[in-house]
Amino acid sequence: MIKNIFIEIGLIARFTGRFFIEVFKPRFEFNEFLRQCFYIGNKSFPLVAITAFIMGLVITMQSRPTLVEFGAQAWLPKMISVSLVREIAPVITALICAGKIGSGIGAELGSMKVTEQIDAMDVSGTNPYKFLVVTRVMATTLMIPILAILADTISLYGGYLGCNIHGVVSWDLFWNQVFDTLVYADVLPSILKTFFFGFIIGIIGCYQGFNSSKGTEGVGQSANSAVVISSLLVFIIDLLAVQITDALNLN
Amino acid sequence: MAQETSKNIRVGAFVLIGTALLIFSLYLIGAKQNLFGSTFELKSQFKNVNGLMPGNNVRFTGIDVGTVKSVEIVNDSTVNVTMVIEDKVQAFIKKNATAMVGTDGLMGNKLINISSSIESSPSVEDGDFLISKSPLGTDDMMRTLNITNENVKDITIDLKNIVHRLNSPNTLWSILMDTIVAENVKQAIVNIKVTGERTALITGDLSRIVKHIKDGKGTIGALIADTTMAVKLNQSIVNIKLITDSLALVTGDMHYITSKVKKGEGGIGTILMDTTFVNNLNETMKNVRSGTKNFDEDMEALKHNILLRNYFKKKEKAAKKK
Repeated sequence: MIKNIFIEIGLIARFTGRFFIEVFKPRFEFNEFLRQCFYIGNKSFPLVAITAFIMGLVITMQSRPTLVEFGAQAWLPKMISVSLVREIAPVITALICAGKIGSGIGAELGSMKVTEQIDAMDVSGTNPYKFLVVTRVMATTLMIPILAILADTISLYGGYLGCNIHGVVSWDLFWNQVFDTLVYADVLPSILKTFFFGFIIGIIGCYQGFNSSKGTEGVGQSANSAVVISSLLVFIIDLLAVQITDALNLN
Repeated sequence: MAQETSKNIRVGAFVLIGTALLIFSLYLIGAKQNLFGSTFELKSQFKNVNGLMPGNNVRFTGIDVGTVKSVEIVNDSTVNVTMVIEDKVQAFIKKNATAMVGTDGLMGNKLINISSSIESSPSVEDGDFLISKSPLGTDDMMRTLNITNENVKDITIDLKNIVHRLNSPNTLWSILMDTIVAENVKQAIVNIKVTGERTALITGDLSRIVKHIKDGKGTIGALIADTTMAVKLNQSIVNIKLITDSLALVTGDMHYITSKVKKGEGGIGTILMDTTFVNNLNETMKNVRSGTKNFDEDMEALKHNILLRNYFKKKEKAAKKK
């Protein structure tokens, strides 16, 4: 069992290493990369937007009673802006994408693998790793930060609405308080970690799809594992990120 | 192909919007921390900065004008604080302004308050040192507050006693609550009012009288105003004086006479004062009495005399007729 885990980790590491080799090698599949960007970024945006908006609204409404207890409801925009930008919006985006994109990539590549399309590509002279994996991983790595930035903004809109359900906070005051509170140490590490989230979602999805077997059943397993492992790794990266920012005295 | 292009455009727009949002928010955050725009530096030295950190706000007259750039310890009792201040407020901050570490609200972030002095002074320049004031520590505040609390406690105890005494029967409170007293006070006030009104009437009358007197009306008026009357009065008084003088002389004479009489000098004196004369007179009177008695008997006998009897009978008859 433990041996299998080590084998799996070793295989994932090799798979990731291959990505870094292939990514700098021509020829670049730019059109496929753009196509993947569209499916990963644009197509995921509505889901991410709705989730982020609801999270912003809910977090604000949930935090409010505690702050009211201290007579500090005026601090609500400050508090939610830090919690949303630092943690909630990036992690929620990453989890949504792990569910939607990770499973999609895992299933797509898995079915291609079991129907031997990947082998066919190999035979026909196209580098399947470059065409399928590099483009997808690049797309997730670059699109998830964009989604996270949009999620930050939308969740703050949700927060603004949440502030105005039980109280009155003007538009100007809200954004003034938000940007009074936020510093680069809040924004930059949280955006930076989403690149890692995106990379891990792409690489795990591709790895699971690329290594699926046992026919249609294997495809389902690949999709499932892609979601589970990438979600778990998102949290592990989040934990590492908070440790690093803490060590750098940015918290 | 056209569909592919449309997809690419949408991806481009998506990325652009996301990047623009990131850049915009980074710019806003930077602008808040005075990373863009022209700034200058001010420095100040504190003994204790109470947890001030780089990035904390600097306020001048209550407005955020900059941020703390660095907090460096110089020696065991000096901390050097460098502040980045917006250029546009440079003209308003004078060299004699003071810097103090404060708190944003009761439990907010630390910040530096720059307060200006009343005295005039030139404006600060880049790198100037501001005079620092030691911040009002929470511990000091608590210590003072503790003393205040003790005092308030004592005051409330005293106040409680006073109220208790006031509230107990037969005190000021009962007097205040007594309706009879209130009625009496009310009546007294009414009386005072009536007295006042009457006094006003009296003074009015007095005023009229005085006016009359001044005008020379009435007896007193005449007395005061009529000069001839005064002359006459004066004359009368002179006459009275003369009379009394004469009376004095008369009484003097009387005194002289009575003293003479007492001494038995002169006729009256002899009569009153000589005992032998008195005895003789007494004897004489006795003789006169016995003489008159005898004479009376003689006269009675005479009535019954024939010569005179008719006359007396006629007199009796006339008396009866009346």
